[in-house]
Parts: sequence; C-alpha cells; structure tokens
Amino acid sequence: MSGRMNSEQENMLRNIGIVDFVTVEMTEYLDTHPFDREAMEYFNHYMRMKNQMMRDYAAKYGPLSLSVADTCSKEWKWALQPMPWEGGC
Amino acid sequence: MQDYNFNEYFDRFPLAMAYVPWQHLTQIYEDLDKAYCTGTIFPELTKPFTGRRCVK
Repeated sequence: MSGRMNSEQENMLRNIGIVDFVTVEMTEYLDTHPFDREAMEYFNHYMRMKNQMMRDYAAKYGPLSLSVADTCSKEWKWALQPMPWEGGC
Repeated sequence: MQDYNFNEYFDRFPLAMAYVPWQHLTQIYEDLDKAYCTGTIFPELTKPFTGRRCVK
C-alpha cells in the first residue's frame, strides 16, 4: 500500500485510521448505552476530528471517501487518483 | 471490578442462562495509538490471549 506514498501521507493515513477506530469503538458502546452523555460527547469530539482530518487529507492527496470527494475542483479526483492496486489507498 | 453483588441478584436470574456484566464507562486509554494496537479503547476489555489458562 505504501508503494508511492511519502511519510507524511502515510502518517496522516495512520492517524485517520486511529481516530476512525476510536469512533467505531464508541459507536459500539453507544449502541448498548444510548443515553450515556459522556460517551456521546467523546464520540462527537472524535467524529469532528476525523471529518476534519479526512478533509485535510482529501485536499492534499485526494478523497478517501465519497463524503469528502470535493466537486468544486476542475477534475474528479475520486476517479483520477491512483487506485489501491496502483499504490493508492 | 465487582459490578453487582451476585448473591443479591441470584434469585432473580433463572437457571442455565449466561449473564454478561454491564459495561460502565469508567476508563478510556489516553494513548490512542496503543488502543489501536491493543484493539480496544477500553482497558477493561483488554484481554490478550496469553496461551494458557485464564489466571489473573
């Protein structure tokens, strides 16, 4: 996967992976504790952080998901960026 | 961490049923990188298989 990625890109990708993991963990907890306010605050904090990191990554290296696939640029990066089997991610 | 006083609750639980203590949000790993490698953000759920009988 890290065929042609520079270390900063890899680092950002890993951090997104960690924050995403945290939101998944807290989602599972909230599924069984739907009224736990503290858990919801924790989830919101990391969800906002993840979305920001995804936007930052998309601006630099291209969108990781369609939700951050920016449509106002002149090209559809979603399709133009390297595919996973081409060393993309 | 003793969740319930088991003796007090035993009469309400029918026999031959499995019970899982309810998780309470007590701790979350500060170091999220370690949590990521461990596989959970909850220290209480960190139960690595140590290849032998479950001893504390």
